[in-house]
Amino acid sequence: MEGVGFNAYPLRTTAALRFRDGVAIRITGDTYPLARTQEARSMHGRDLFREGTLERYEDDPKFAGKMGMDGHIPPNISLYTHPELTSKEQWGMAVDLNTCMGCNACVVACQAENNVPVVGKEQVRKNRDMAWIRIDRYFAGEPEDPEMLAQPVMCQHCENAPCETVCPVNATVHSEDGLNLMAYNRCIGTRYCANNCPWKVRRFNYFDYNARPTTELYWGPLAKKGMADSLKMSKNPNVTVRMRGVMEKCTFCIQRIEEAKISRLVEAGPTDKNKVPVREFKVACQQACPSDSLVFGNINDPESRVARLRNGDRGYVMLKYLNTAPRVTYLARIKNPNPKIPGADQVGQANGAPHGAGHGEEPAEAHGAEAAQGRPAGHDEKTHSAEEVHH
Amino acid sequence: MADASAARPSADLTPDEQAVIRPPLVLNQRKMGWIANYVSSIVEDKTPVWWWACLVPCLLLTGVLGFCIVYLISTGVGVWGNNHPVGWAWDITNFVFWIGIGHAGTLISAILFLTRQKWRTSINRAAEAMTLFAVICAAIYPGLHVGRVWMAWFLAPVPNANGIWQNFRSPLLWDVFAVSTYFTVSVLFWYTGLIPDLATLRDRAKTKIKKFFYGTLALGWRGGNRQWRHYEMAYLLLAGLSTPLVLSVHSVVSFDFATSVIPGWHTTIFPPYFVAGAIFGGFAMVLTIMIPACAIYKPLHDLVTVSHVDKMCKVIVFTGSIVGYAYIMELFMAWYSANPFEKAAFWYRAFGPFWWAYWSMMFCNVIAPQIFWFKYFRTHLVWVWIICQFPNMGMWYERFVIIATTLSRDFTPSAWAQFHPTWVDIWMFIGTFGLFFTLFLIFIRFLPMICMFEVKAVLPEADPHHGENHG
Amino acid sequence: MNIAGDPQSKAYGLAAEFDSASQLFHAAERLRDAGYKKFDVFSPFPIHGMDDAMGLKRSLLGKIIFIGGLTGFLTAVCLTFIPSSILYPLIVMGKPTNLYTVPAFFPILFELTILLSAFTAVFGMFIMNGLPRLNHPMFNWDRFQRVSDDKFFCVIEAKDPKFTERAAKDLLESLGGQNITKVHED
Repeated sequence: MEGVGFNAYPLRTTAALRFRDGVAIRITGDTYPLARTQEARSMHGRDLFREGTLERYEDDPKFAGKMGMDGHIPPNISLYTHPELTSKEQWGMAVDLNTCMGCNACVVACQAENNVPVVGKEQVRKNRDMAWIRIDRYFAGEPEDPEMLAQPVMCQHCENAPCETVCPVNATVHSEDGLNLMAYNRCIGTRYCANNCPWKVRRFNYFDYNARPTTELYWGPLAKKGMADSLKMSKNPNVTVRMRGVMEKCTFCIQRIEEAKISRLVEAGPTDKNKVPVREFKVACQQACPSDSLVFGNINDPESRVARLRNGDRGYVMLKYLNTAPRVTYLARIKNPNPKIPGADQVGQANGAPHGAGHGEEPAEAHGAEAAQGRPAGHDEKTHSAEEVHH
Repeated sequence: MADASAARPSADLTPDEQAVIRPPLVLNQRKMGWIANYVSSIVEDKTPVWWWACLVPCLLLTGVLGFCIVYLISTGVGVWGNNHPVGWAWDITNFVFWIGIGHAGTLISAILFLTRQKWRTSINRAAEAMTLFAVICAAIYPGLHVGRVWMAWFLAPVPNANGIWQNFRSPLLWDVFAVSTYFTVSVLFWYTGLIPDLATLRDRAKTKIKKFFYGTLALGWRGGNRQWRHYEMAYLLLAGLSTPLVLSVHSVVSFDFATSVIPGWHTTIFPPYFVAGAIFGGFAMVLTIMIPACAIYKPLHDLVTVSHVDKMCKVIVFTGSIVGYAYIMELFMAWYSANPFEKAAFWYRAFGPFWWAYWSMMFCNVIAPQIFWFKYFRTHLVWVWIICQFPNMGMWYERFVIIATTLSRDFTPSAWAQFHPTWVDIWMFIGTFGLFFTLFLIFIRFLPMICMFEVKAVLPEADPHHGENHG
Repeated sequence: MNIAGDPQSKAYGLAAEFDSASQLFHAAERLRDAGYKKFDVFSPFPIHGMDDAMGLKRSLLGKIIFIGGLTGFLTAVCLTFIPSSILYPLIVMGKPTNLYTVPAFFPILFELTILLSAFTAVFGMFIMNGLPRLNHPMFNWDRFQRVSDDKFFCVIEAKDPKFTERAAKDLLESLGGQNITKVHED
């Protein structure tokens, strides 16, 4: 492809196939623009990625849920009752920051599965990249010897999603199984939902990335129209290809969810579908992750891996004080450095020192209970049999 | 009543009485006939050369606007500088800027009417016209900033094939209702106020075309008291309705930000702060257009007197001080709240990458208008005009700071990014000025820019007890 | 006496011209005291206190506008509540779909109230004033053109039970009316 990258082959000759010497570097004084998707290097004191040392974990296993402002949030008293989410399955995800190494396989898998468009280097430099899941990379500690923190961030599918309430046309609403839905055909593209998302996971199609070449985006109707056949064939037929002017974001691979639910209906046949469990399936990022850091599943099933992780020790949600009640729980990273390694005292300290000692004596139950869960999903175990079949 | 003192020669008045005399609203003791004659002659005379000289560049800029709009719709929102996370930048900044300017017209028409400020009579027609044109320029942006303009009708609560309705809880939909109500009511109010003056033009019209045009629009107005009776009631109630309307419309516009969760946006100070800022910027724009208009038509200085300008400058310094207070309160609350996100948001406003916009805003809105405390600067029209450019610019910077600066750095540092405008952003905005001035030039060419009957009504001889002794 | 309009048609009334607002004001008071009901005074601007001088009651328009506003409010409540809670309730940010959601609709309720009130004000005023009415007997009198300029007029309609041409003419002259004219319908 023209204009992308540099040809390094002139350096490699038949005489020097593996390595060559006698090369010199000369400063030309020119500049060359590079593209990156993230500018900020530090978390700026915001406890988005949380970690601790083994010592801290042993001292208080639930330290992650009480870090920063989370330890001070009073219980939320709502003025009204939220509408009940009626589905028996409620979807959620746990992201284990302990095992995540920031390899970006999830990003690639999501792009492949969900037809996320390629926008080109110029647009990435303008911060218009379309990745539905991104790896946030923060540095912590000394600038000379920083720790790298890698955190996969996708749509948090908040139970009280700030994006839903601001869409004037109801293009983004909540489903009965706890997903934040995105209706592309209803979206007119006001971008208010993206503005209101605290994690900025929503992506807007600023151009017709799927219909025009990335080098001709600004030509408008004069650009070549249409997608090359090879690109068309690479698209996943289970997922819509979005046109310009609509908003898109992580859907928890709703196509896979629906496929699983449909096979459950097929399996149940004439009997009550709720007696048949939805078969196990993985979402795309989870499927690609080599270290099993992304765990998706039914949080209403206490035996499922995701429920056990969410209700476990290390769990926390980001920006809890906003009370958006995300369905994505992060599991804090626990570091256990060998004290003999130089700089070991900086490891596992990304969020600063623990709170003062006196704080631990406060009602731990109130803090702990708030820790890993959002609002409990609105479905009660005991009303299963009495429930009507919902579609 | 202010006019009563005109009945006694000023030499008879005590120094105390002299001190409280209000300056006359019409200078040089102009009579009703002169007012009607001069203001109508501006409309009736042949089109002056300067009018063409101003119209042509404005039409060109309007053409540029049209081209930018076509380019935007055909190519995509990406032709602007918006990105992730800055989903709104110049588009909504310009929208709020123009809507804010419009509010001064309604304030002059409605609120000053309810508070019986007679000095509004010579500026209200031009100010209301300015409102309509400003709202037209504003309305371009919400309509066109959407990604799929051809589906903007989804915002209208009409039955459709999907059976789906709008989200009436969304501030953007409140905006749709508020701005369309505001425009409709402003047009109705402006037209109602025009009817008696259209009758004047109809009665003076010499050609058949003019008689037809003004006659139809004047609806056969006779000026009988039985008509005035209902007219006055309608006008009073329209003023009474427009007052909460203007306060609510800009509050609803501020809700676009105030009801979100973003630090720097999520604050209850926005509604009063926005409304005060709107009046502040709007009055500056009224003066920006009226001072040159009166410089071209010099006899209008007898109707739009230095006293009028003086009072408007006082309004500017008052509302500018409110805006300055609001800025300080925001900073105070950012610190007092101990919310780290709020503190950071304001830190970045003042010292982050957009610091130049923040300090321009502070200087233009808070510091520059304070010069209006000095009477010299309120009464010398050249100075007034120059100083009024500062609020005009400052109000744009304020909205830019609120929107683009805040969005570029909010909760999650990984999403932080800079915003850079493109030529489409810039020329589209300049083009809206072209549209605004084009409409205003057409207005002063074809319609009376001073409300003749209201100015006649504040003359001393309009008082039915004029010339009588007071018991 | 001058004639305005076609003398073959019915007489509309007797009209006079005045020079100042105070003259007109006192003329109206005297006409009211004299017991005339169908008369009108014309001025380039509304004269303060003229309604009382003519013996007219407060305009009914105020009450009609209130009804218009109420209609607007109820329309808005139906427009927002019925789709959101009855026709197609959706879960949006966990907000309720029962009556507790109505406060979220407040800006729309407010704006539609104002909008319908404004429509009622303007179109109600037109209807009560009989506008548009491009033709009116008074326009037959060419001097009447000055009403939108700087002159004041008064007409006693022939339909008034107390109207006689002689008495009306004398009264108008005594009030200071000039150019007394008999205005015909066509």
